[in-house]
Amino acid sequence: MNDKLIMSAVMLAIVIFSIVYAVADQYIGDDTVNILSIIAAGAIVGFTAIVMIQYLNQIKNDHATGELIENNWDGIGEYKNELPFGWAISFVLTLVFTIWYFLSGYPLNAFSQIGQYNEEVNIHNAKFETTFENADEETLNDMGESIFLVQCTPCHGVTGNGIDAKAADFRTWGTEEGIVNSIVNGSRGLGYAMSEMPAGLLGVNDAKAVASYIMAEISTYGKTSSPELIEQGKILYNTCAACHGDDGKGMYGTSADLTKYGTSAFVIDVLQSGKKGFIGTMPTYRVEDQVMTPIQQRAVGTFILSLSK
Amino acid sequence: MFHWLEKRPFFLGILIFLSVSFAGIVTILPSFADIARPTVGTKPYTVLELAGRGVYIKDSCNACHSQMVRPFKSETDRYGIYSLSGEYAYDRPSLWGSKRTGPDLLRVGNYRTTDWHENHMLNPTSVVPDSLMPKYPHMFKNLANIDTAWAEAETVRKVFSVPYNEPLIQKDGTYQSVKLASTIEEARTDALAEAKLVVADMKTKSVIDAVERGEIPEIVALIAYMNSLK
Amino acid sequence: MDTRTLEYDYTVSKWFLITTIILGIIGLLIGVIIAFEMAYPELNNLFGEYGTFGRLRALHTNTIIYGFILSGVFSSWYYIAQRVLKVSLHESHFLQIMAKIHYFTYLLVIVLALVSLLLGITTSKEYSEFEWPIDIFVVIFWLSWGIGIAGLVGIRREKSLYISIWYFMATFLIVAVLYLFNNMSIPTYFVTGAGDWYHSVSMYAGSNDAMVQGWFGNNMVEFVLTVPIIAMIYYFLPKEAGQAVYSYKLSLISFWTLIFVYFLAGGHNLIYSTVPDWVQTVGSLFSIVLILPSWGNAINMLLTMKGEWQQLQTNPLIKFMIMASTFYMFSTLEGSIQAIKSVNALAHFTDWIPGHVHNGALGWDGFMIIAAAFHMAPRIFRREIYSKKLMNIQFWTQTVGIVLYFSSMWIAGITQGMMWRAADQYGNLAHSFIDTVIMIHPYFVIRGVGGILYFVGFLFFAYNFYKTITLGRKLEDHELKNVSPMATV
Repeated sequence: MNDKLIMSAVMLAIVIFSIVYAVADQYIGDDTVNILSIIAAGAIVGFTAIVMIQYLNQIKNDHATGELIENNWDGIGEYKNELPFGWAISFVLTLVFTIWYFLSGYPLNAFSQIGQYNEEVNIHNAKFETTFENADEETLNDMGESIFLVQCTPCHGVTGNGIDAKAADFRTWGTEEGIVNSIVNGSRGLGYAMSEMPAGLLGVNDAKAVASYIMAEISTYGKTSSPELIEQGKILYNTCAACHGDDGKGMYGTSADLTKYGTSAFVIDVLQSGKKGFIGTMPTYRVEDQVMTPIQQRAVGTFILSLSK
Repeated sequence: MFHWLEKRPFFLGILIFLSVSFAGIVTILPSFADIARPTVGTKPYTVLELAGRGVYIKDSCNACHSQMVRPFKSETDRYGIYSLSGEYAYDRPSLWGSKRTGPDLLRVGNYRTTDWHENHMLNPTSVVPDSLMPKYPHMFKNLANIDTAWAEAETVRKVFSVPYNEPLIQKDGTYQSVKLASTIEEARTDALAEAKLVVADMKTKSVIDAVERGEIPEIVALIAYMNSLK
Repeated sequence: MDTRTLEYDYTVSKWFLITTIILGIIGLLIGVIIAFEMAYPELNNLFGEYGTFGRLRALHTNTIIYGFILSGVFSSWYYIAQRVLKVSLHESHFLQIMAKIHYFTYLLVIVLALVSLLLGITTSKEYSEFEWPIDIFVVIFWLSWGIGIAGLVGIRREKSLYISIWYFMATFLIVAVLYLFNNMSIPTYFVTGAGDWYHSVSMYAGSNDAMVQGWFGNNMVEFVLTVPIIAMIYYFLPKEAGQAVYSYKLSLISFWTLIFVYFLAGGHNLIYSTVPDWVQTVGSLFSIVLILPSWGNAINMLLTMKGEWQQLQTNPLIKFMIMASTFYMFSTLEGSIQAIKSVNALAHFTDWIPGHVHNGALGWDGFMIIAAAFHMAPRIFRREIYSKKLMNIQFWTQTVGIVLYFSSMWIAGITQGMMWRAADQYGNLAHSFIDTVIMIHPYFVIRGVGGILYFVGFLFFAYNFYKTITLGRKLEDHELKNVSPMATV
């Protein structure tokens, strides 16, 4: 009955470890930390099991021997037995390992975790930054989705719909319809010197025409869903030119650059400046703060605009 | 020698004491002064922020959230630049935390906003579906403990010379100072003014009304504290 | 050899024993509640702000550590010390009073702690949450214990101190130092005249505060959750089994190296934080060295049982203690390996760490205290243990509970750690934080189930204990030699 007990304990240990491995396997990759951790988990279970079995075996099959010391306490005696050999050797080995580690492995006076970090970053940059320097649209979109899911979803939602108006809705923001929204409702918070764009500069229908013109002719986006409104929009655009300039470039940075509108460059502007808009405040995701790299910003921009298509 | 010791508990006790003292002396003392030095840009907390920190401690936010960004790319990508010792110079006690049931919050002020916190603290799943964080409606009703926060700030100023009311150099080269009122009445007024700025971005009517009346609900203080974590 | 039979005074040992069981029930129950709160957040709001995880967690840790475990330690001290020092508390009226002061101040602290933690009055420092007024009472009850130790050791007949006494002495001395240093704080009301009178601000700031807290936390684990429990097993196992301790030399070396090395391992709570790199390295390395002293004691106990397999089969008390030794080995190896820098890079902040904690707390501490209680009860109450069968049922139920607990936390923690680190093919983070929460949820539920099993087992224990002291067959002296009398019901 009791050999079965030991066997079942061993089986249990193996089963537990296997489940851990099975669940975690998909994430291990080639990350040394992950590999070492799985080995560590196995070692913990393994060594304990091996040593326990050894001693349980002695409990079963050996018998107590040795010379007793003279004293006893409440009937409890003590043997004068020697230290278990394996135990003593292991102890010495750990001490040797420690000395090696302190002097050579991770020397006390020389190892730096920041240095280790810098190395990690350099390796990463060498591997990734150059590879994706000239990524195509599909790659950027894929990359952008990944970044979006980690960084943007808490406010913008998993589908980018703005979670019931808690943040911008990317089904319309950045599109032709988005221009109409801005004209009708105004826009603020991107930090331009001209400050807030007032609401209601044009009525809804006029706004649609202007939007059409801007998308087709001002922005590098270059097309519109309502080409028939372009002519009318061009005339109405004069209202906008006062702040945005005839060319729509934003009067030397004092207002939004509409030539970027509808492209990822516009998204990048928002990422860099943040936005304290009507809905709420959006934080910045600036390159200077090492929060996003330029390629990541382009990727996010590409993805966000894809949400409205 | 050990047989001798085992018959003499007094000396046994002394040796036990010496055995353990070694570690504390050798590891904690040498760098004590060094790691306490504040980094450039680290500022003491305002009274409102301290009151918010008090809320954070009262509800044990530190039990689920850490405030320590470790130097791994996966951490810095997610939370911001790795932590520096001097950033915590005015944290008494430090709130590094030992568990991430929820994400790290050291630099949460950089990527979450007042209105987001408002939504999140009242109902976490409204902004993070599948979140396991509890709701904290009581923070919208209970009032923040401004008096104790001022007492704490004044204590650390007096006892530990924490540099309130002194110009401190910032990362961009400018100087900023954090005001600490010398009387509690003035501190209450200052805190209220600061609270009004926070509430300007909030939408919950009961909270807005409370601040109008001169009261500061816990959520306002907590948000002020979270926003200061950059 | 002194042939006079002493009559020992177990009054305070008895009081602490009953308190151990009650606080065990409360502490475990709160543990089960918070485990399910983590899986089903709606549960947090059932009792307003007082039932939230934030309030209850500190209540759970403190009730278990300072309540259940410490009470068990004290009960064992007042039992073991008299017997191995060959002196009775009846021989000193002063010491009897001291013991009672110890008990009642301790109880006061427990009550104050329960109330204040529920109200959210806390310093936030783990296992150091009490504000300064309660700390003062802790010092009082701790000192009264110390005076009791010094007094009893002073009037002892057995001149040579048994191993258990060294460990109890170490517990007293070192926890005193640890507690005093870590709780140093300035009460803000007395400096400014404003704010809450009980509020204080930590003496240390930032990284220094974390270092002191790390030093404290690690060594509280040693000197409350390990050292006094070792004191207990060195008495209760050889005594119950009627065997001599395997090797005096092993116990001696393990004792001194344990207390010396453990303190150096404190940095392992702070790996990859902002404490100096060399402190982290020291912590990490000495955690590895620490494996051997820890295992030394466990091995000594296992070897003490050489040839006694049939005792392991037939005596549930021995089962509890052997399993306790197994979990002791398991969790000390686990902790040390988690302290290796690379493993820590993954494990820190994940659920793998609570998994480690509960291996030790449920497996080593819990089982050892249960065994101690089962051994002491017949002697203190002079009653036969009510049901051996129930002891076995309890043992298996609780063991399954522990296995469910640590396996679920291993899977959760390791996977979570890997997901946090994972990068996609573009080198960007592959998973948002909430992804890891979604992954982990089922394991939170399994852990809760494990906790329920352990708790239910504990209820069996409490029932068995209650039946023992009220209905158990009264015992004669000669029945109280080694194996504790158990009714085979």
